Amino acid sequence: MSELELALTSLGRKLDYPQTPDLAGVVQRRLAEGRRPVAWRRPIAIALAALFVAVAAVMAVPQARSQVLDWLGIGSVTIHYVDELPKLEPREDFELGARVPLGEARERAQFQVLLPRLDGLEYPTVHYRGDIGMVSLLYGTEKAPRLLISEIVSPGAIDKLLTSQTDVEPVHEGDWSGAWLSGGQHVLFLPVQDQILRLVGTVLVVHNGATTVRIEADVSKDEALRILRSLR
Amino acid sequence: MVGRPLTEAELVERARRGDQDAYGELVHAYQGIAFRTAYLLTGNAADAEDAAQEGFVKAFYALRRFRRGAELRPWLLRIVANEARNRRRSAGRRGKLALRAAAVVPSGGAAPSPELSVLDAERSGQLLAALNELRDEEREVIACRYLLELSEDETAETLGLRKGTVKSRLSRALDHLRERMEVDDV
Repeated sequence: MSELELALTSLGRKLDYPQTPDLAGVVQRRLAEGRRPVAWRRPIAIALAALFVAVAAVMAVPQARSQVLDWLGIGSVTIHYVDELPKLEPREDFELGARVPLGEARERAQFQVLLPRLDGLEYPTVHYRGDIGMVSLLYGTEKAPRLLISEIVSPGAIDKLLTSQTDVEPVHEGDWSGAWLSGGQHVLFLPVQDQILRLVGTVLVVHNGATTVRIEADVSKDEALRILRSLR
Repeated sequence: MVGRPLTEAELVERARRGDQDAYGELVHAYQGIAFRTAYLLTGNAADAEDAAQEGFVKAFYALRRFRRGAELRPWLLRIVANEARNRRRSAGRRGKLALRAAAVVPSGGAAPSPELSVLDAERSGQLLAALNELRDEEREVIACRYLLELSEDETAETLGLRKGTVKSRLSRALDHLRERMEVDDV
């Protein structure tokens, strides 16, 4: 070996490696859960083209819905029924914030960012939006997203505006509770910025303590719950 | 009566048949080198942990494709390395490696004089800075061959390269390192 090669070998022994985590335990737990690949149907309905759709659903809010309204504070997300969804301006992207490495997102968000542990899922792009402290995991691309998972701990950071066309089904899964929203598109709104974000189709919104998770994908409720259960 | 420990080949056979405890022993045996490999490729502890974990899970489901009699370690490292590279590409950058604070003090024997320690630390720091400046493909091959002390065959398997490519890439990378070190010396 040359002097340089010897120096490199010596260098390798002086590197500041982080302590090796207990991978064997985690891997065995994951295998014991017997994960199956995710069954995707098609890209989720949050492609940018959807933002050009003008929505004008005029519906009265039934009394029963109004009562449900009090119940629908799900962690960082507040759901409001409206007679008519606001018109949306086209946007260039999903406003997920800066794309960052997962480690940086964890540091900046100051909470444990959860990742779905399902075979068949590729590695997501990770985004951090500082104004509301939201970390998003995007699977697929912004033009053809397949799954979007957003995690947030700020109370009252997101409003959802929906009409009675959207079905809201209460969900309880382990320590998580929230709602499965399906059947009609609704609008994401950021009250802090007074900003209307975009139209959303089917989504699972749940919270566990201070952590709120949105799982947005064109999958069945069972599949969304399976993704939720896999979060680690 | 205590039975003899299972050999690696026996553990692999059991894992191939779905024995998760046997696979857990294999993961335990290789988690250190797998995590360090992922860390050298990503430069980030969180990404390295995810990559190594994901790699081990994928490897379990791919065990049927593992050729009997082949070396398990480089086969596992290749899967982990692929995961690590995917994460680095997603992040769009890699982290920089760093030296341990006490790196220049040998673990046994007499401590070097303060002057020697300073020189050694300076030299290591320069070498590391030069290494951090290399292109990904050159840094990867240096990392596997010298920092992790893998053989050329293992380096080739881990990085999915032919042995000849490893040799030529190592040669180029060492030349580039020498050039950078000379520049630093000026």
